[in-house]
Amino acid sequence: MAHDSNFGTTLTDREKAFIALYKSAFPAVAKYVNKKAGTFDDAKDIFQDALIIYYEKAVSGTLVLHTNEQAYLLGISKHLWAKKFRENLKQTPLDDIELDFVNEDDLQPAAGKLMHYLETAGQKCMEILKAFYYDNLPVNRITELFGYSGVRSATVQKYKCMEKVRETIKEKSLAYEDFIE
Amino acid sequence: MRTSLNEIKLIEGYILNSNPPEEALLFEAMRILNPDLPEQVMWQKKTHAIVKQYSRKKLRAEIEVVHQRLFDETEHKSFRQRILNIFR
Repeated sequence: MAHDSNFGTTLTDREKAFIALYKSAFPAVAKYVNKKAGTFDDAKDIFQDALIIYYEKAVSGTLVLHTNEQAYLLGISKHLWAKKFRENLKQTPLDDIELDFVNEDDLQPAAGKLMHYLETAGQKCMEILKAFYYDNLPVNRITELFGYSGVRSATVQKYKCMEKVRETIKEKSLAYEDFIE
Repeated sequence: MRTSLNEIKLIEGYILNSNPPEEALLFEAMRILNPDLPEQVMWQKKTHAIVKQYSRKKLRAEIEVVHQRLFDETEHKSFRQRILNIFR
């Protein structure tokens, strides 16, 4: 479970953490991408994907830092750059970095009618499910953040939302042809 | 909690591999009693995948706001200059 990550539990906490990471780690990534003849926008895209990977590892408690966070973010960025340009991965020193779960396809922005529906009509439930399963926040913090009367009612709400969203996905998947996966 | 929510809870434990032994047994019993279970498991897995996709999209938007702030606000001028000099 999460919580001892530097990302805190609120939007403001995350914003502060991302600003700090940008300031400490982006210059080295920008230099690397520039050296590889990439542009500012390439550096930005790659660094933002690296931040997402870093965040997910940090909040799921699977982050193993053998060095510091700057070196870690640079390592992920080099890996993503190599993937992007089909370079030989062996040229990139990744010995001390766990990148097993990196899948660039997973990092593509979501699209489609189903996602649009969930972002609008289903937003409240999606935010609750995000807090539990993605941000991995402790249930007592979720209870506070969403204003539930207690941990039990927050937990029941999680399952109600899972049921509701699951049924929506099932229903809409059969109706929308652009939903393949 | 109503039955359907308990089912969801057991399915979640199965998917996330977090059911304690007695709940794992309940899940096995449910598997025998409910022929629709595999389908429910499949849709619940899809829901987890979509929650992840949704959450990544939200996180990406938050990071983009940070990027815009760093490259727009005068407070961060020296950082911005440092980066832009790299690509000069």
